[in-house]
Amino acid sequence: MKALKYTLLLGAVVAVSACGNKVDKTVDRGIDSKHLSQLQAGIWVDPNGCDHWIIDDGAEGYLSQRLDQYGKPVCSGVAPPNTATGGFKSGTFITDPI
Amino acid sequence: MYDYLAKTLRSVLGGCAAVALGTVLSATLFTDPAAAQSGQRTIVGGRYVPTIWVDPDGCEHWVMDDGWEGYMTPHTNRQGIPVCRRGNVCGVMNSDQLFATDSAHISAAGRQHLANFFQSTGAVSYIITGHTDSRASDQYNLDLSMRRANAVASVAAQTGARIADVRGYGERLPKASNATAAGMQKNRRVEIICIR
Repeated sequence: MKALKYTLLLGAVVAVSACGNKVDKTVDRGIDSKHLSQLQAGIWVDPNGCDHWIIDDGAEGYLSQRLDQYGKPVCSGVAPPNTATGGFKSGTFITDPI
Repeated sequence: MYDYLAKTLRSVLGGCAAVALGTVLSATLFTDPAAAQSGQRTIVGGRYVPTIWVDPDGCEHWVMDDGWEGYMTPHTNRQGIPVCRRGNVCGVMNSDQLFATDSAHISAAGRQHLANFFQSTGAVSYIITGHTDSRASDQYNLDLSMRRANAVASVAAQTGARIADVRGYGERLPKASNATAAGMQKNRRVEIICIR
C-alpha cells in the first residue's frame, strides 16, 4: 500500500511539473513553489580549485561560476577540489532520493 | 490495480508528450529586426526569459526553470565583467602611504598597518590587485603594480592569510581622472578583495 501511495505521489508530481510548456521560467513550480531569486547556494570547488555556486533545489540543480569584479574565476581555497560545501540543499524541504 | 495505475500514468505522460511536441511545433517565430531590412530571417525557438538570482557576493546570475530542468549562468556584460550590486573590495591601500615613488618596498609602519588589517579582517582568502596612475609607460606600470601587489601579498601571507590571486593592472583600470593630481593619487592604490 505504501508503494501505491508513492506511485500516486509520483503521478501527481509528473502531472504538475512535467506537463506541457511552462511559460514562466522565473518561478519554481510544483510542491515547494517559489520565485527563483530565493535559491540558497553553497560552494562547489572544481578540479582546478575554483569556486562555483551550487544549488540543489529538490528536482532542479543549478551551477554557476563565482567571478570576481574583474570577471576572473574566484579560487578561494575554502575547500579542497571536488568538494561541495555550504547550505546548498537548504532551500527546499524536498529531500533528494540520492 | 497497479496495471490500472501504470496505464493511467502512461496516458498522462503520453498526453504530456503530445502537448510538449505540439509546443515545439507551434514554437514562436521570432523576427530579427536587424535582418528585417536585408530580407527576413526566421528563427524557430521557444521563449526563455530568465530572472535574476543574486549570489552571496552580490553578483547577478541568469536563472531559468523550465519544469524539470534548472539553468543558471553568470550575468556579465559583453566585456565579460560580472554585473554586481555591490563590490567586495574591503580595503583600498593608498600606495603613497605604503611605498616610495617607483618602489615596491613597504615601510615598517606600512607593514604594521597591513598586518593589522589582515588579522582583523579574517576573510577566507584575498585577491590583491595593484594599480598605478598614468605616468610612465603602460608596460612599466603593469610591472610596478604587480611588484607592489606582490609586496602586499607577502605581508598578508606572513600573517597567515590565504591569498587567492595577485594581479597588477597598471594604469589600465583608473578609479579617477589622471588629469588632476588628486585623481592620480586615487589611482595609485592596492585593492584588496575579501572572499568570505
